Amino acid sequence: MGKCRVSNNSEPLKIMWNGVWGSNPALVQLLGLCPLLAVTSTVVNALGLGMATLCVLVGSNAAVSLIRNWVQPAIRLPAFVMIIASLVTSVELLMQAYTYDLYLVLGIFIPLIVTNCAILGRAEAYASKNPFFMSILDGFMMGVGFLLVLLVLGAVRELIGQGTLFTDMHLLFGEEAKSWRWEVVPDYPPFLFAILPPGAFVVMGLLIALKNVIDSSLKAKQASNAAPSGSKRVRVTGPVT
Amino acid sequence: MTQRHIELHQFPGGICPPTQKALSTSRPIAYPPLAKQLILPIQQHTGMPGRVLVKVGEQVKKGQMLVDAQLPMSVAVHASTSGIITAIDEHWVPHPSGMKDMCIFLEPDGLDESVEYQGYENYLETNPTKLLECIRASGISGLGGAGFPTDIKLKASKIETLIINGAECEPYISADDMLMRERSEDILQGILILLKLTKADVCLVGIEDDKPQAIFAMKQALEKDKDDDTHRVNIVEVPTRYPSGGEKQLIKILTGKEVPSGKLPASIGVLCQNVGTAYAVHQAVALGRPLVSRITTLAGGALSTPMNLEVPLGTPIGHLLEYTGLHQEQLEQLIIGGPLMGFPVKTTSIPITKISNCILATKQGELSTPEQARPCIRCGYCTDVCPAQLLPQQLYWFSTAQEWQKAESHNLFDCIECGACAYVCPSEIPLVQYYRFAKGEIRQDRAATEKSDRARERFEFRNQRIEREKVARAARRQARANTDTKVLSEKPHAKPMDKQPLRSAGAIGDVESESIQSLLVDEAALEAINKKIRMMEDRVGKARERYEMALSDGLDTASALKRALDKQETKLTTLLSERERMMSHSDPAEGKET
Amino acid sequence: MKSSPYSRDGMKTPTVMRWVLAALLPGYLTQIYFFGWGYGVSMLLLLLTAVLVEAGVLAIRKRPVLETLKDSSALVTAALLAIALPPFLPWWMYVMAGSVAVLFGKQLYGGLGFNPFNPAMIAYALLLVSYPVAMSTSWALPLGLAEPADILTASRIIFLGDPLVQLDALSGATPLDTYKSLAGVELSDGIWQKPIFGEHVALGWEWVAMAFGVGGGLLLLKRIITWHIPVCVILGLSVMAMLFGWDPDRSVPIHLHWLGGSLIVGAFFIATDPVSAPTTTLGKCWFGIGIGVLVYVIRAWGNYPDAVAFAVLLMNFTAPLLDQITQPKTFGHQKPNRTLIKVQVK
Repeated sequence: MGKCRVSNNSEPLKIMWNGVWGSNPALVQLLGLCPLLAVTSTVVNALGLGMATLCVLVGSNAAVSLIRNWVQPAIRLPAFVMIIASLVTSVELLMQAYTYDLYLVLGIFIPLIVTNCAILGRAEAYASKNPFFMSILDGFMMGVGFLLVLLVLGAVRELIGQGTLFTDMHLLFGEEAKSWRWEVVPDYPPFLFAILPPGAFVVMGLLIALKNVIDSSLKAKQASNAAPSGSKRVRVTGPVT
Repeated sequence: MTQRHIELHQFPGGICPPTQKALSTSRPIAYPPLAKQLILPIQQHTGMPGRVLVKVGEQVKKGQMLVDAQLPMSVAVHASTSGIITAIDEHWVPHPSGMKDMCIFLEPDGLDESVEYQGYENYLETNPTKLLECIRASGISGLGGAGFPTDIKLKASKIETLIINGAECEPYISADDMLMRERSEDILQGILILLKLTKADVCLVGIEDDKPQAIFAMKQALEKDKDDDTHRVNIVEVPTRYPSGGEKQLIKILTGKEVPSGKLPASIGVLCQNVGTAYAVHQAVALGRPLVSRITTLAGGALSTPMNLEVPLGTPIGHLLEYTGLHQEQLEQLIIGGPLMGFPVKTTSIPITKISNCILATKQGELSTPEQARPCIRCGYCTDVCPAQLLPQQLYWFSTAQEWQKAESHNLFDCIECGACAYVCPSEIPLVQYYRFAKGEIRQDRAATEKSDRARERFEFRNQRIEREKVARAARRQARANTDTKVLSEKPHAKPMDKQPLRSAGAIGDVESESIQSLLVDEAALEAINKKIRMMEDRVGKARERYEMALSDGLDTASALKRALDKQETKLTTLLSERERMMSHSDPAEGKET
Repeated sequence: MKSSPYSRDGMKTPTVMRWVLAALLPGYLTQIYFFGWGYGVSMLLLLLTAVLVEAGVLAIRKRPVLETLKDSSALVTAALLAIALPPFLPWWMYVMAGSVAVLFGKQLYGGLGFNPFNPAMIAYALLLVSYPVAMSTSWALPLGLAEPADILTASRIIFLGDPLVQLDALSGATPLDTYKSLAGVELSDGIWQKPIFGEHVALGWEWVAMAFGVGGGLLLLKRIITWHIPVCVILGLSVMAMLFGWDPDRSVPIHLHWLGGSLIVGAFFIATDPVSAPTTTLGKCWFGIGIGVLVYVIRAWGNYPDAVAFAVLLMNFTAPLLDQITQPKTFGHQKPNRTLIKVQVK
């Protein structure tokens, strides 16, 4: 990696932080909401789609980063989309092969990963400008961030919607996972609203609100810690080392 | 004489608050004793202040002019009684912002000795120009509230309908009512003078139907004085509905016409004057008496004898409150004007001016004091009562969100601040306050943009000038270099105000030193004139600002300001053309060859 | 210092709200008379929930709790819900409805005056979407078909889901629903023979609707609402019914639309919620017509038994737009300003 920029030591940490929390694709950038809202009715759906997206994201970031110096700017977007589409097709075929039932459940939302702005967004905003390993890390962390939000949404909606957690995990993990189903509230009357897309909007809104509350309280804490440091002289002239 | 039938129209919205007028109309107009000190603001009208004619320590007589009206938009001020000028200083004046302004302090000597009044005996046959001059010299500005110089308003052309506003729709106020009851004949004569001056075909006197005695008195005066002129005068009863006394609203009621937004009534051939103004015009023209007193209502539950007083201008309101028996312990609010459009009193030493029609001293619980404002529930009651047919709740929303553009596009500046919306608001939101704030902010924004625009223009102009000078200098150098070759030139194509370099090289020929000399002189002159132009530009900008402000507020000062603006603009164009001439002259080659 | 005007008059917001509550009374009492005390128990539950939730949220938001509660808007929301919801739902559904209405319908947007949707209808729609079976079968049968439930029976059904009570004998579908499911299967004469339609239009329901109409008249008299929205709602529905539902053998006839469901209470009390409706006169008319049309569309071609909630919510979306494009002509202007976007020409 001769041409590679000398990356700062804190860069990977920053990428991790941004992917999971700081600029989480779902909570902060509000990207890829369509699959996010459509399929997160249970944990297993969320997990399936999240994993698929994660794989595509890592793969596309890696590929885009590799070709970043050879692609003409004018045609970069079609090129990126081609890469993403190929990867999505691969993932789709893999799912057909190994988790056919889940593939049937997720249906159209697997091919629709192509149009997930989070993936194209990372390719354009990060991978096309950064070295290979950093791009992979970025793709992975963004994917994890997306997956986590999907999981939380799926869990909350499954819990509120039908009072259970980890239903139908066998779709992803094989027969022995059937027993993972946990009936949190016995005899729960299904709450259709949470299972239907509007419920996803509401839960998503609440998650964003929660994140904002946490962020602002963190900020307030930081401010109160930093406040009594007194005035500090800032060097404004002379050479900056 | 038969009363012509006038078809009445209705203005949109409006409210019917309890009129509360009976208290102050039960007693005749009284004359309070002179106060120990009179405070006469130099400017009591809309426009600009005149020049003060007296000095501190000077002895003046009643009716003597203290402030002249030489400036276009100024109105004279006269001594309200005889006495000594003790000071000319700043003092609180009756103004919504509670500001201070220059005032003449007059200590009465108690003799009330007046100058000799000289009126026109045969005023209906006198030359209109003379009458207008007389009105101007008598210091009359609209007594209804806006305080617009009457003579300027009367100069409007093509007036078909003269409307005399006797509606007096705001609760508590009864000054015009009492004036009409007691002095209807003088008012009628004043109306005839106004008719003559405006050359209007018809005069409609609009009086709310809750003043039957005033209507009766006016009709009787009309009955007594039958002639060619009076048959054009019609006394019209209008329904009691606030704000029917608003100029635009009264015009709508009486003529069915709407004054276009941002325009003056004169644009639709209507002129509106207050009954008090008509009375003052008669006093001035027929008797030669300048405006030194007015009828003011003192009303409110905190007074033991609420009534109407003929007050010498400049009397501090504290003196009047004392005279009418103010119960200090019961007093809740002291308001100048009525309960719907008045403003709070800062100190009781505020004087009565030409526009003070009412002093309201309310006792506890008399006016419902608003509790904490609750959120707007968009009930739309305000929309129903808005006489300008605005959407007050939307304007409120935009004002709180500081969305000025939206507020403007919802015609915020057509709001007349009558207060009907806030009167009915179930959430007790002080709506008008929000509109005033929004208007102020928008005006400031406008002024700021205009200022920056002007600064930019000036900067660009300066750059152009520097560029021109540079080119000129280069040309001079070039010319000097060319002297040896002695090339004679053809006539340069120097057009006036040419953006090209002032002088083209080679045109100078052998008169170089002389031309440089003259160029230097010219440049100094040019600089001077540029300075003048810049000042003038500033002035024009300010005048425009003021005019637009008045326009957007629908103030009737707009026409006068427009005239001032035009004048400034003419001056500017003169200066500009002068500069053009100089610049074309400053090209010595041209000067030489022609 | 305060500025003018110094004088105020007219009803204050809490008074307005209390008048709305008072105007609901005739209809509500008729409901209890015909359909039993299920409505009484649900009303109590909803009022209590709404007030408690409102107080809690206000405390969290650090707003004056008692002062704000006094505006009684939470009570109106709860009362409307109690009237609109079926009377034999399990108790926790009422609690959920009350909380959702106040919390999600109103307070999350910033409290009274800021909610873009009718809070009561938000909660109603949520329940309808989530528990479609309970929402369509928990209606009480009217006096004449069943003995109206007394307080004890109603409480047992609501709180215990008591199997001892023969719920099937007390509850059933609404007349609208009944007619809709039978239209096309039987001829209209045959349908009208069903006991649920009674002698006139819809046993019990017709009187309730008319009583709410009386309450609406009271609001009109007190000038709390204007006639535009209610009249236009009924007008919109009637025109649609005349255009598409003229054949009583195939579709629900117009007078059953009027009196057999929640149209009247919706037109006078729900659609007229000022906060979520347009404020211009013309806007109110369009708003009302839109609701009327949508009510018919959903009732005739949709799957839900009644449609007022969805129609009102859908039209709530349009209120800001309607306000913008139906501005009245300002005094002194040639024509009204109804542009959607004002292009600033510099």
